[in-house]
Amino acid sequence: MSKIEEVKGLVETGKSKKIAAAVSEALDAGDKAQDILEAMIASMGVVGDKFSAGEIFVPEMLIAAKAMSKGVEVLKPVMAGDGSSSLGTCIMGTVAGDLHDIGKNLVVMMLESAGFDMVDLGVDVPAEKFVEAVKENNKVVLVACSGLLTTTMPALKEAVQTIKAAYPEMKVIVGGAPVTPEYADEIGADGYAPDAGSAAVKAKELVTA
Amino acid sequence: MLTKRQNLMETIKGGQPDRFVNQYEFLELIREAPKEAFMTPMGTEVKNAWGITIRWPEGQIGSFPVHEKGYKVLDDITEWREYVKAPSVNYPAERWTEAIAHARAVDRDEKFVTAFITPGIFELTHYLMGMEDALMSYYEEPEAMHELIEYLTDYELAYAKQIIENLHPDALFHHDDWGSQISSFMSPETFKEFILPAYKKIYGFYKDNGVELIVHHSDSYGVNLVPFMIEMGIDIWQGVMNTNNIPELIKEYGGQISFMGGLHSGEIDFPDWTPEIVMEHVERACKECGKLYFIPNLSQGAPISSFPGVYEATSEAIDKMSAELF
Ligand code: B12
Repeated sequence: MSKIEEVKGLVETGKSKKIAAAVSEALDAGDKAQDILEAMIASMGVVGDKFSAGEIFVPEMLIAAKAMSKGVEVLKPVMAGDGSSSLGTCIMGTVAGDLHDIGKNLVVMMLESAGFDMVDLGVDVPAEKFVEAVKENNKVVLVACSGLLTTTMPALKEAVQTIKAAYPEMKVIVGGAPVTPEYADEIGADGYAPDAGSAAVKAKELVTA
Repeated sequence: MLTKRQNLMETIKGGQPDRFVNQYEFLELIREAPKEAFMTPMGTEVKNAWGITIRWPEGQIGSFPVHEKGYKVLDDITEWREYVKAPSVNYPAERWTEAIAHARAVDRDEKFVTAFITPGIFELTHYLMGMEDALMSYYEEPEAMHELIEYLTDYELAYAKQIIENLHPDALFHHDDWGSQISSFMSPETFKEFILPAYKKIYGFYKDNGVELIVHHSDSYGVNLVPFMIEMGIDIWQGVMNTNNIPELIKEYGGQISFMGGLHSGEIDFPDWTPEIVMEHVERACKECGKLYFIPNLSQGAPISSFPGVYEATSEAIDKMSAELF
């Protein structure tokens, strides 16, 4: 098995203790950092699809993402300054009035694994704070808003509309348990996804369209 | 007319109910029993005897465990023995007075005197460590997780003993949220390995000590966990969401377990709710699921709604469906 194949396997099975060594070995064996990174991104894609299909569960996804980030740590010094693989920056947060963050954190991990530079604003994020973050960060191509409470669906709407008012061209994606594709449409969001795996697919689609 | 209690038993035993069981009507929750704080009033913060900090910030709809840096009780599962210290369950007698009086005042022919336990074992693991660390620990440090769960289970059993001695409950309403609306948090294999044995002990203990009815709250998807729910002794799964295909579940498992829920907060308990929308969903749920092994109910883990009036409108709609279908 090639070293890259081994790295992929370790990401998919979430072996964060073994991955740093495997990535170093792959580099030593002459694999390019860029190729290793792309292989890991592809593995996280597989993990995301399995999660969407209900074949694996939240913990498997968490350990895979953890393994990936341990692998990326090894690549970072080698790739410093080389932003070629980035899809751009994505701002994400849970909307005002809502403190749920498990789903949001999973989406952050999956988007990061898919190649976005993520800026995580945390929970209880007022609409204006999303706008400020777009202003303050470079190359923002996407804003992602999460909402888990029916009581905060108006806050989700406000977030989308405030962002769109300030940046009409900005792509906005929304999600969370009570959110439906119809509701996403109604409040003017560009995209919706039911889970973290499909969120990565949808997000890529939105920014590369 | 059957009493609420009789009507419930007819519904879950496959007998002859004379109306739908209306949401939580059969449970008299004894919420005065002494216990550790897992909620706090709006605008306040409390650290309970486990060391878990609970905060309810202004402008939010409820309290939340705090897991920011420096707040987690447990940072590394392998060190649980050092950091996790179960509170004492021996509360002074006067702290039981109110609960005992409440239990005594209940007409037990009409309703079940019900002990109310939250959080559950799985929830306690994530209250102590934060959800991500907890979930990963089941996979990465299974041995330590088994030990911790055994310790938490022993605590629950010790508390159960107090509950039984003081209240002699007929029913138990026990929370432990096991999933999101579209998936269980853990795989069935992991659930079977860690959570099932704990609850076999806990629910077994209550049943051996006069508790007739176990109602478990998990407002989530959970089709893949139903066989374990049955094995651990759950009589009613409260909080069952529509993402589970409840009519199918009733067909497959009716008689072994009953299903309470089928009405989503996302669909009827939201800012623009109307009694008509509520009626429409109640009608659909009642007609799809039928009269046996099903209790129409909002999926929340208490007799409340997020928007004032929704709970009551739901109860009225259920009464209408009873009048129409029975
Ligand atoms: C776990 C949980 C909690 C935990 C949260 C821990 C944490 N750190 O987040 C705790 C116990 C602390 C909690 C607290 C509360 N909760 Co709560 N909670 C849940 C529960 C059981 C699961 C949510 C979850 O984490 N799911 C797992 C993740 C992986 O799934 P997810 O969040 O749906 O995210 C996925 C998708 O939706 C999607 N997604 C999510 N965001 C985004 C964003 C984008 C852009 C995209 C594309 C996709 C996407 O991808 C994610 C990954 O696949 C739900 C019930 C449910 N069935 O959803 C209730 C639920 C959301 N909670 C509820 C309530 C009421 C509360 C409290 C008010 C309780 C109280 N009285 O104190 C407080 C809230 C305080 C507040 N102000 O926010 C209600 C909301 C009711 C309503 N009106 O909407 C629910 C529905 C339960 C219920 N029916 O009673 N809760």
